[in-house]
Amino acid sequence: MHTGTIKPNNTFKTELIFVLLAIGCFLLILGLFSNAQANPTASSPLSTWFVDMKQYSSAAHGSLKCEECHGPMNGNGIGKMAPKASLHPNPEADGFLKTQTKRTFDYQSCKKCHGTAHERFKKGEHAKAAAKEKTDGQPSKTGFAPTCGDCHSAHYAKSHQTREMIGKEMTRTCGSCHPDQKASFLANYHGKAGVNLGYDKAAFCTDCHGAHTTISLKDKDVVLATCKRCHPNATPEFANIIIHDSTKNIALKTDAKKAGLKWVYWLGSLSLFFVAAVLVFFYTHTGLLMLRKLHEKLRRHK
Amino acid sequence: METTCAPKESYQRFHVLHRLLHIIIIFNFTLLAVTGFLLHFSPFGWARFLVSVMGGVGAAGWLHRCSALFLYLGIIIHLSWLFYYKLVLKKNLSGPDSVLPGKKDAKDLYQNLRYMFNRGTPPLFDRFSYLQKVDYWAVMLGMQSMGITGLLMCFPEFFTRFVPGHFINIATHFHFHEALLAVMYIGLVHMADTHLVPDIFPMEKTIFTGKIDQDRFMEDHPEEWKRQQMVKE
Repeated sequence: MHTGTIKPNNTFKTELIFVLLAIGCFLLILGLFSNAQANPTASSPLSTWFVDMKQYSSAAHGSLKCEECHGPMNGNGIGKMAPKASLHPNPEADGFLKTQTKRTFDYQSCKKCHGTAHERFKKGEHAKAAAKEKTDGQPSKTGFAPTCGDCHSAHYAKSHQTREMIGKEMTRTCGSCHPDQKASFLANYHGKAGVNLGYDKAAFCTDCHGAHTTISLKDKDVVLATCKRCHPNATPEFANIIIHDSTKNIALKTDAKKAGLKWVYWLGSLSLFFVAAVLVFFYTHTGLLMLRKLHEKLRRHK
Repeated sequence: METTCAPKESYQRFHVLHRLLHIIIIFNFTLLAVTGFLLHFSPFGWARFLVSVMGGVGAAGWLHRCSALFLYLGIIIHLSWLFYYKLVLKKNLSGPDSVLPGKKDAKDLYQNLRYMFNRGTPPLFDRFSYLQKVDYWAVMLGMQSMGITGLLMCFPEFFTRFVPGHFINIATHFHFHEALLAVMYIGLVHMADTHLVPDIFPMEKTIFTGKIDQDRFMEDHPEEWKRQQMVKE
């Protein structure tokens, strides 16, 4: 269809493209610099033989007196509250201040205030691992079975944290013994939205696995009940969605997830291969065509 | 760049509806790509910053879903136009003017590959070159796959009544890979092939104005030009 005439327009500024490119590069550099901010701040240090009183007094247990957990240090081993813990270590002994506090401290005293947590812990997987460790005489592949002090810093843990801060902290804490699970969680929507972008509705480690029971969620009904806490309309198959979508530690998964994961892995790889192949073809095609056209144009203007 | 100031003959190439749909696609595609990749690049500080600018993860998520809806609305409008074109206007959807792939496209590709290595002349395209057809079908088919995988991820409670749970995981992988393909294809191949061609640089405006110059028409779509001249005579 003939539509009349238009005047050639030479006013478009080529410079504009370069300005836009420069802005793009600037934003990229800015992004790289701001990476440091995204990395969560270091977690509070775990308790050791020495106590930083300044940090201690501003932490959650800051109002407690030493004896309330350690018992009266009267040296004769007859403490009233926690008889075993009340024995002050012998300064003349070989291992003085060299034993690991987390392995030697008797965490029974936590029970006094945190009864529910203690009861749950006793029923949980970490307590089972501790029992197994005792009979086997050596720690499991994941490391020592943790007790209270391995996850919580009795001296420095802060109170009044937001859900997001707690979520970040627990991802680091749990991840220090379960790095593969941390990585796959952070690759999942829950981890990305919750830990990386601060979405407090997303589920963090303990929202599914329980803070003190730390179950590995293999029983069908338990998994479904877990999902239903946030997804009330979840179906039995919904519980088979793989959150820790990684082929690492596949032996730990249920049979349904093992079978599903195989498909996820193969189809995922196939689609990535397809994408790569298409892009390689068209990038080569475009590159060569541009070179040829540029060559023709330059030759014409010689 | 020796352009004369004499006015050039121009022809109508795109109907106003298609120009509008193209703008809808540009707008929503960009929004979708930005909001979607922010989730993928969430470990980076700038992603977190941009998400907070948008009003948090929830808001960015809704923006993503809304633009998906509008983009798919564009597809539906386009499909209804195709029905109108075929059933009311009684025009032919196949033939030389069509975007359907044909034998000529394979020949053109072969000839273009020869041309790249200086083994012949560039192919003579009809109304749509094979690259333009790839552009069209990339969006058309890509939106279907993105739509399906996106719905699976948006309503997992509903869809797991019918499909196994790991389909949601597969959908997640497909959705991301397809997004990667779309952005890297549109961002480089589509942009380069339309705007970076030496004769056209810096910008091809036909899809926005609907008009094409006679010399570009004769060079880029010689077969269509020839057919139009024959109709005139």
